[in-house]
Amino acid sequence: MSALIEIEQGIESLLMEPPYGMDPQQRQRTLLALLKKELAYACDRNPLFRNYVEQWPMDFRGAEEIANLPYLPVGVFKANPPLALVDGDDIKRTLTSSATTGQMPSRVVLDAATAKRMTKAVTAIFRDFIGPARRPYLVIDTPQNLAAQSQMGARGAAIQGLRSFATEVVSCLGSGAEGDLTLDVEKLLASAAKWKDSDVLVYGFTYVIWTHLVQPLQGQGITLDLPGVRVLHSGGWKRLEQRAVTRDVFVQGVASVFGCAADRVVDYYGMVENVGVIYPDCDQGNKHVPAFAEVIVRDPLSLAPVKAGERGLIQVCSVLPTSFPGFLLLTEDMADVVGYDNCSCGRSGISFRFAGRAPKAELRGCGNLENTRYQRGEGSAVAWAT
Amino acid sequence: MGDLIQAVDSPREITGAAQRLREIAQRKEIAPQAVLELFEQWAAALNDRELHDVPGVTFLRLWLRRGNLEPLLLRELGPSSLSGGWWEDGRARLRAFPLGVVGHWPAGNIEIQPILSLTCALLGGNCCLVRVPSGLVSVTRRVIEKLQEVDRNGLLSERICVISFDHSRMDLHESMAQAVDGAIVWGGAEAVSQVRRLQFPHWARVLVFGPRLSAAAMDATTWGDQKERSSWCRRIARDVWQFDQQACSSPQALFLERGAGGDPSEFVEHLREAFHQENQQHPRQEIETALTSAICLARASWLLDSVANRALFPVSPDWTILLGTGTQMPNPTQGRTLSVLVVDDLLQVISKFDGTLQTLGLGIGDAQREETLARAAGRNGVDRIVKLGRMHVFGSPWDGMELIRPMVRLVRHVPSQD
Repeated sequence: MSALIEIEQGIESLLMEPPYGMDPQQRQRTLLALLKKELAYACDRNPLFRNYVEQWPMDFRGAEEIANLPYLPVGVFKANPPLALVDGDDIKRTLTSSATTGQMPSRVVLDAATAKRMTKAVTAIFRDFIGPARRPYLVIDTPQNLAAQSQMGARGAAIQGLRSFATEVVSCLGSGAEGDLTLDVEKLLASAAKWKDSDVLVYGFTYVIWTHLVQPLQGQGITLDLPGVRVLHSGGWKRLEQRAVTRDVFVQGVASVFGCAADRVVDYYGMVENVGVIYPDCDQGNKHVPAFAEVIVRDPLSLAPVKAGERGLIQVCSVLPTSFPGFLLLTEDMADVVGYDNCSCGRSGISFRFAGRAPKAELRGCGNLENTRYQRGEGSAVAWAT
Repeated sequence: MGDLIQAVDSPREITGAAQRLREIAQRKEIAPQAVLELFEQWAAALNDRELHDVPGVTFLRLWLRRGNLEPLLLRELGPSSLSGGWWEDGRARLRAFPLGVVGHWPAGNIEIQPILSLTCALLGGNCCLVRVPSGLVSVTRRVIEKLQEVDRNGLLSERICVISFDHSRMDLHESMAQAVDGAIVWGGAEAVSQVRRLQFPHWARVLVFGPRLSAAAMDATTWGDQKERSSWCRRIARDVWQFDQQACSSPQALFLERGAGGDPSEFVEHLREAFHQENQQHPRQEIETALTSAICLARASWLLDSVANRALFPVSPDWTILLGTGTQMPNPTQGRTLSVLVVDDLLQVISKFDGTLQTLGLGIGDAQREETLARAAGRNGVDRIVKLGRMHVFGSPWDGMELIRPMVRLVRHVPSQD
């Protein structure tokens, strides 16, 4: 049996498991063994990746914990051409991150198998949070972002991830003459009237929902009266934080325009590089990791995993991709670890809360006026003595 | 000096402080010998266990010693500078007088920089208005307290006013600029540009030490010398560790000239050991999260860039050695990340320096070869060329500029009796 077939079988069997119900120890063992196979496979496929793995301070073959496996910083996916484990002909889709102005977006390449697994995995996660039923799907975005394309951004990928739960899909934003987003209020009200007594699924990027749905509706005093709605949103809080919109204000605002309870609004964390894995908030406000993935939160000082109650950099681990080496990725995001295997929602494994993006590093010459250095006890005298 | 560091909130407070300093500058001359004597005592007082955790304090103690500063004064201000008198210059006489009130805008990433900056101006007899970045208030206070202990008559202390205010308060920056006769500005590009744009009096002299980078270079004879290799590696490690590789004078790259002498991989194994040892002696206590991310990205990007590239690093972000080839100065990562680049000819490297390079730390076996390299480096914008292990030795000139002379006026007196 080829290494890839063995890996694919391993992934499939993990995808068959209930996403949050696997025995923690068995899950760790299974993930560790599969990730090692994937690392070996990736080393065979990509000599540059092998160069990185071979110079990692610990040999991954002897690792006894996932935390000891070599991980890539997520920034390497901003390179051109993108890191790949498949030939160009096998690339079916390229996902791009939603980079802010002036920044290079991350790009990851998907072959057919990885794309299929991505859909399957996202569906399994959502099903655990919102149930399996299909229902009307309101997308707070433009129709252009509804279609699956070979080049797809983070918004498009997120929208696609929920399609399998939809009986019908309606998008309620349009593009104005200058390319700005505009809310189609009539279409929205018509859909709301039609779906009045149904369960409805809503998805949008956090700042898009706030800027192009909540604010216009609040401005016009419109409430949609959809108490059975489930509003999922993702994409980060940076732009809203800049406008001093807190999570509470956001949730209350969304609940008020939909006429639903606040617990119908669910934030989830995800990133294109971590294909197929998303982290919705549970009813305790915590995030959990499905069977086919893992999250390690690392202390920035030592890069060792932190204990419950501590904050650190998020490392995401996933067995899903075989088209690019995205198994073990150190992100630039921070999280607080709430606990391990003890969340009241019943989901096992790590429970964590997203704590924002780590501030950007700035190069210090003989310095930036407001930045301090964190070093003690360096020996200046040495310079004089030599 | 009353409260050591005043948190100011209005332009009036700054104007008032500057006015008091100006009156002192005009009313009371201070003899260079008196300054040197107090500095010597200050240096002794800084040898206090409580201050051992202040980065750079050992360096500061050595900087303040008379044996260090006397030659500097003599070189910059002439043979009579120690006595404070006039010296003959043909038919004329010359004498150094202070500018008056010197404003200091030190950078925020070198703890002792506010002190170093103000000592340069005090040596010229000036009074100092120092704006301390918020992150350095506490450490600056601890160091100045030691001056107050030895300066019982307030001879120097009365000439210093240390203030702090938020860096975004342009009204306070403006008022400080308008109140001084000279300024010494340190910092990154944005910071120094911001200060340079302020409205200083037309007579004010502004001395700017902007952002620079530094590199190290060794010829094959030197790095290939098995006996001395560990010693050189220790020197390099010290240069990297000091100021957490954030100073202008911190080496970001080490260029090794290829030769029959040895294998660069063997050399970096010694360097790895030196970095490991240095890290054990001086481990980081804290790190900015973004720096950790940058270090991880530098390691990965380097190794993913070419299969010929190598890297040595621990699992933690403590230090990193990136080994490869190349004659270009790499983009610096800092955080104890040293690029070791093997080159055919060091002159190739030096010819590409473009004025951003401040210090070139050298390990060269042959003096004549070093002379050639030093001349080429000088032509290509390098301001300091020193032996490896001495890259941070703060001395004059720095960034190609003298430290004391720009803040004094040389008054020329042609006696009327002739």
